[in-house]
Amino acid sequence: MPVDTKRVRGPEVSQSPSLFLCKPAKTLPPDGLRADGRQRDQVDVRPVFVRCGLVSQAKGSAYIEAGNTKLICCVYGPRETERKDETDMKCGRLTTDMRFTPFSCQERGSWIQGSHDKDLSLMLHESLQPALCLHKYPHAGIEMYDLVLSCSIRQDGTSYVVDPSYMEENSHSLVDSENQGGLTVAYLPSLNQISGLQSDGDMTEDTLTAGVRTCIEGCFKIYPVIQHALARAVRRAAPPPSES
Amino acid sequence: MATVQVSEAEKVYILHGIRDDLRVDGRGCEDYRHMEIETDVVSNTDGSSKVTLGHTVVLVGIKTEIGKPRPMVPDEGYLDFFVDCSANATPEFEGRGGEELGTELSNTLYRAFNNKHSLDLKSLCISPGEHCWVLYVDVLLLQCDGNLYDAISIAIKAALFNTKIPRVHISADDEGGREIELSDDPYDCVRLNVENVPCIVTLCKVGHRHVVDATLQEKACSVASLIMSVTHRGTVTCTRKVGGGSLDPESIFEMTEAGKRVGKALHAPLMKLLQQEESLGRKKQKVGFLS
Repeated sequence: MPVDTKRVRGPEVSQSPSLFLCKPAKTLPPDGLRADGRQRDQVDVRPVFVRCGLVSQAKGSAYIEAGNTKLICCVYGPRETERKDETDMKCGRLTTDMRFTPFSCQERGSWIQGSHDKDLSLMLHESLQPALCLHKYPHAGIEMYDLVLSCSIRQDGTSYVVDPSYMEENSHSLVDSENQGGLTVAYLPSLNQISGLQSDGDMTEDTLTAGVRTCIEGCFKIYPVIQHALARAVRRAAPPPSES
Repeated sequence: MATVQVSEAEKVYILHGIRDDLRVDGRGCEDYRHMEIETDVVSNTDGSSKVTLGHTVVLVGIKTEIGKPRPMVPDEGYLDFFVDCSANATPEFEGRGGEELGTELSNTLYRAFNNKHSLDLKSLCISPGEHCWVLYVDVLLLQCDGNLYDAISIAIKAALFNTKIPRVHISADDEGGREIELSDDPYDCVRLNVENVPCIVTLCKVGHRHVVDATLQEKACSVASLIMSVTHRGTVTCTRKVGGGSLDPESIFEMTEAGKRVGKALHAPLMKLLQQEESLGRKKQKVGFLS
C-alpha cells in the first residue's frame, strides 16, 4: 500500500492514557463492604438477569446480565463437519468460540481473537463438554445431563470476594501477602460434578479447597434463577393448554 | 494432541492395574518416569535446557532482550512464553496442526507465572518506565509421550536457572539523558533466583484413582486430568481441569492434596541436580541429543 509520506504519522505503538493513571490505593477495611455494597467473605453473588431465545436465527440463545457484565450466547448447528475422518463421526462435536467486542473493556480490544479469548473459549469447551450427550448426536435436539453453572472468587489474603466485578478482578493488592489469586469453578449441580476448574495466583492448598467449596455454594445460588429462565422460555415457546 | 489408539482389553488391563497400584511399566501411582535434565545445550541462547521424561523430549531456550516495561507495571520486566509443537513430535502437528496445543500450553504457563512470587520481575527492571529485561521463553516439543506440562515446567525451571543476563550500568550524561552501558566482560552476568519457580504436576484420573506422569496409553484411559503448578513451599500458583470429563469435588480435593505433595517433593532434588551440574563448570560432559 502506498504511504503518504507528507502526512505526519503518529507513533507506531500507542497506549491509552488511562493506563498511566495513578490507581487509588485499595484501603478497604477487611470487614468492610465492597464497592457495590455486597458483603466480603460471603457467598454474595450479583443478581442476574437471564432471558432465553432472543436471537431468532439461532437454534438456541440466551442473554445474561450481572452487574455491568453483559453477554449474549447463541448455539448454531448441527452442521456437517469439515474433517471427514472416521474417528470423529461416531459422535457429535462441540465447538466453542468466545469473543469480546472491541468496546467491551476499558481498553479497546482488537477484532481478531486474542489469546485471552482463545483461553476462555477452551475453558468453556472443557466445562460444557461433560454435560452434553454428544454420543446421541443423530437425535433431534441436544440432550444434556445437567445444567452447567459457574462461579468465581477472588482471594485476597485471608478474605475473599465472590463473583468479583471487573474492578475487583483487576485491582492489584498492595499487600504482599500469600493467598492472592482467582479461582473459577464450573459445576453440574444435580450430578455433583465439577466440569471446569481454573485458578491462578499463589494460594495454599487449604485456601484452594475452601475456595472450590465456596464456588459450589455460589453456583447453587444462581441455579434457581437459570432454571426459572429456562422454564419461562419453554412456557413461552409451547404455552400450556388453557383449561377453559 | 498426540494420542494413541487403545483397545478395550488394553484399557481394562490398565484400569485394573492402577486400581491395585500397579502400572504397566511397574511404577507406583505417584512415581515419575526416568528423567534426564541437561542445561546449557544451545549456545545461542542465554539459558537453555533439555528434559527427557520417558520418551517425551522438550527443549527450552531463553533469550533476553531489552524492552519497554508494560505501562501497568513500569518497574517490572516480563516473560514471554511461546510453545512450538514441532512436526518432529508427531505428524499431527504438521502445518498449523500444533498451534492449538501450543496456545493452550503457553496460556497455562502465563497463568502459572502470573503471581508476585514465582520470579522476581522487579529485578528485571533496568530503569522504570523506560527499559527492562524481557525473557523470551521458547519451548520446542521434540517428542510427545504424555505429560507435556510437567516436562515443560521442569525444563523451564532448569533453563531459568541456567539463564545469564548481562550486567548493565546506567550512566547519566550531561544533558540529563541516560545511557545504558553493557559490561565488556561476557562472564559478568546476573543470575535469576529460581527458588520460587513452580513445577507443574499433572494428575490423571484413571478409574477411581489418579496417577502422576501418565503415559499416552494411560491418558487414553482417563476422562479428565488436573494440572497443578506447585512451588517449593507447597503453594499452588495455577490449577486447571483438562479433558472432556468431569470430576467429583471430593476427588478434586484428593488430587490437589496429592499434587501438592508430589510437586513439593520435586523441587529439592531438581535444585540439587542443577547446582551439581553447575558446579562441574567446564568439565561437564555434554550429552546433547545423542543420548
